[in-house]
Amino acid sequence: MEYNITYYCENSYKNPVSGAHWQFLVIPLEDDTQKIETISCENSLWEKEEYSINGFGFKTLRIKTSKTFSKVTFTVRLKLWKEDINPFNFTPESNPTDSFDILDRLDFKTDHQSFLKSNKLTTLIKNERFSYTFSKDLSIFQNLQNLNNFLFEHLTFQTNQTSVITTLDEVISKQKGVCQDFAHLFCALGRANGVPTRYVSGYLHQGNGYFGDSQMHAWVESFIPTIGWVGFDPCNGILAATDYIKVAHGRDYNDCPPIKGVLFTSGENATRYKVQVESAQQ
Amino acid sequence: MGKIQNQIFSSYQRDPVLYDEIFNNKGEIKDIYSRLFELYGGHSIKEYVHLNDKAKSSFFNQGITFQVYGEKESTEKIFPFDLFPRIIDPNEWDIIERGAIQRSRALNLFLWDIYHEQKIIKQGVVPLDLISSSANYLDQMIGLDPPGKIYNHISGTDIIKHNDGKYYVLEDNIRCPSGVSYVICNRTALKRALFGVFNHYNTHTVTNYAENLLDLLETVKPNGIDIPNVVVLTPGMYNSAFYEHSYLAKTMGVELVEGRDLFVENDFVYMKTTRGPERVDVIYRRVDDAFIDPLEFKPDSALGVPGLFAAYKKGNVTLANAPGTGVADDKAIYTYMPDIIKYYLDEEPILNNVHTYHCSKPDELKYVLENISELVIKPVDEAGGYGISIGNRLSKEQIEKVKAEVKAEPRKYVAQPIMSLSVHPTYIDDSESFEQRHVDLRTFTILGKDKEFVLKGGLTRVALKRGNLIVNSSQGGGSKDTWVLKE
Repeated sequence: MEYNITYYCENSYKNPVSGAHWQFLVIPLEDDTQKIETISCENSLWEKEEYSINGFGFKTLRIKTSKTFSKVTFTVRLKLWKEDINPFNFTPESNPTDSFDILDRLDFKTDHQSFLKSNKLTTLIKNERFSYTFSKDLSIFQNLQNLNNFLFEHLTFQTNQTSVITTLDEVISKQKGVCQDFAHLFCALGRANGVPTRYVSGYLHQGNGYFGDSQMHAWVESFIPTIGWVGFDPCNGILAATDYIKVAHGRDYNDCPPIKGVLFTSGENATRYKVQVESAQQ
Repeated sequence: MGKIQNQIFSSYQRDPVLYDEIFNNKGEIKDIYSRLFELYGGHSIKEYVHLNDKAKSSFFNQGITFQVYGEKESTEKIFPFDLFPRIIDPNEWDIIERGAIQRSRALNLFLWDIYHEQKIIKQGVVPLDLISSSANYLDQMIGLDPPGKIYNHISGTDIIKHNDGKYYVLEDNIRCPSGVSYVICNRTALKRALFGVFNHYNTHTVTNYAENLLDLLETVKPNGIDIPNVVVLTPGMYNSAFYEHSYLAKTMGVELVEGRDLFVENDFVYMKTTRGPERVDVIYRRVDDAFIDPLEFKPDSALGVPGLFAAYKKGNVTLANAPGTGVADDKAIYTYMPDIIKYYLDEEPILNNVHTYHCSKPDELKYVLENISELVIKPVDEAGGYGISIGNRLSKEQIEKVKAEVKAEPRKYVAQPIMSLSVHPTYIDDSESFEQRHVDLRTFTILGKDKEFVLKGGLTRVALKRGNLIVNSSQGGGSKDTWVLKE
């Protein structure tokens, strides 16, 4: 499958900005299942773009400004090839007990410590309604699928209720949130059950003809012994398949925000994003 | 209390329970100090005070001052200094030097391991919790190979002498240890005030630190660089150690820069100069990990350089010390230092660690409960001295209470014997006389590719308040020149 992806971002500032550095984490990861065919970037200030690799190994786009401005727009357009994925196409775990034994091993826990510990946005204070304990009679995959459905059914997708700094306890008491909140909660509960789980940032193809202020999406990947990393989207209650285009993963949102900036200015600012994902063939 | 016959020591009160660096337990002057004792004894206390004041003004004139954060009047202060030096004999120094190098090498191998294969954890020598719960473990450093495989280029090791006469390490500082400029300035001040005393002792120089540091930094240059461009990165003139940053840059003959003087382009670091951009290869940074790059770490840091970490990860610039070293100088890791040294070097530790009993181990718990009045009980997860119980200062009821707490949650506690820092005669302004004061010693070790160096001297810090054990300058501590004698 081929996709045309457009990432657009517009920042306006009340007071003029004398200098700025931006770093974008919006370029899809390249691996066996995803390849970038063409890419072009532009910004309204005509500043030079640089590609780099961040501390976690993901490709970034950086821009620094040389003149004063109060509004700036960025556009990234790219064409991407994505392998058709059947998310169920793997050899299932032979025996749940064996898988759970592996989760318990010190070397396994050590190798995956980054995605087993809780951090700022994945900390869950013990809460009866949202404790979720895996069944040892089911495979880990089955447990994760159940967790995925559990979150899908118990939380309502609603914007403007939470922000990127909302804690999980707030999300739970409101029972509402956006894709980041679903993903953080999945991470917290997966890790609490000893399954390495990471936050994923990327694009979701929602069907052609869909326009407007769609944003980047967030889902998770869990590491299942003998199988590897498997993607789950608790926000939609499904597994991540061909229409999930991954950009980066991290311990939580803070490891992979689409845009980071250092600015020399004061006063208010406003940001608008637009993301468009179209499949090239009908 | 013994009395000593010497003009300036005429009122010296010697507490026989404490280990005195210059008098033995019979009150006799130790051989190594006897010549100095005679030389200083030739002065009256008045003359001594006069010289001491002159030395202090020499500090002001050199601009060697510091500020204490959070004090109402933010006046610059000099680090209290006294003219009576501490002397370390060559045999004792040999132990300190070999011990400091051994610890630095072991810590470096430990850091390599925990950011790569993590064998020491997988083999159960160091618990996984210590690493995974550490706020100083940087995930961004996983799998990254620092140039020359060196993490802790500069280590400051805090050592004390206990009342058994043996040296113990209290702390390894491997983030941005400071204090080395005071070592050199103390020597300068003493030379200016009492030049003659140096004729009677064969003392190692301390002024070779900067040249050794520069040599070291050049050994860990990025690949493909012939003569590296080295800079010192400071948080700025409002930092309490700014004098030291400028001193080191000046004596190494390299530029002193702030974050805003540097920029990154295509993953290379450049310095803005009047002749245009100049590439930078090695950065001796005195800015903490969290602040070095706002695009990678703390986004609101104004001290760092946007894009610096990416340049580092790519191998285009060396950072000394490497980011993420802080994980190895956590209090909890300290307790495993003897195991860490044995694991990587297959050697016995040369310097003692203060023995630590882990209450999580049943036989050690038993010992702790039985000997609680001779131990300090510390919670493992509290910093800054909170929740510490000193066994010999507890009432019977308090002892029972602490025991109950430890029994209830043994994993939360460790215990250590109560250490008594040695004392050294120190001139005290208020009483205009010499009094016993507790001292420690911070040594400075540098580690490069196939190179290691320990500054033959160090910072002897003095707790100026009577009976106080805290030697930090922010807590009213002073310092002394420290002489390491040649064989």
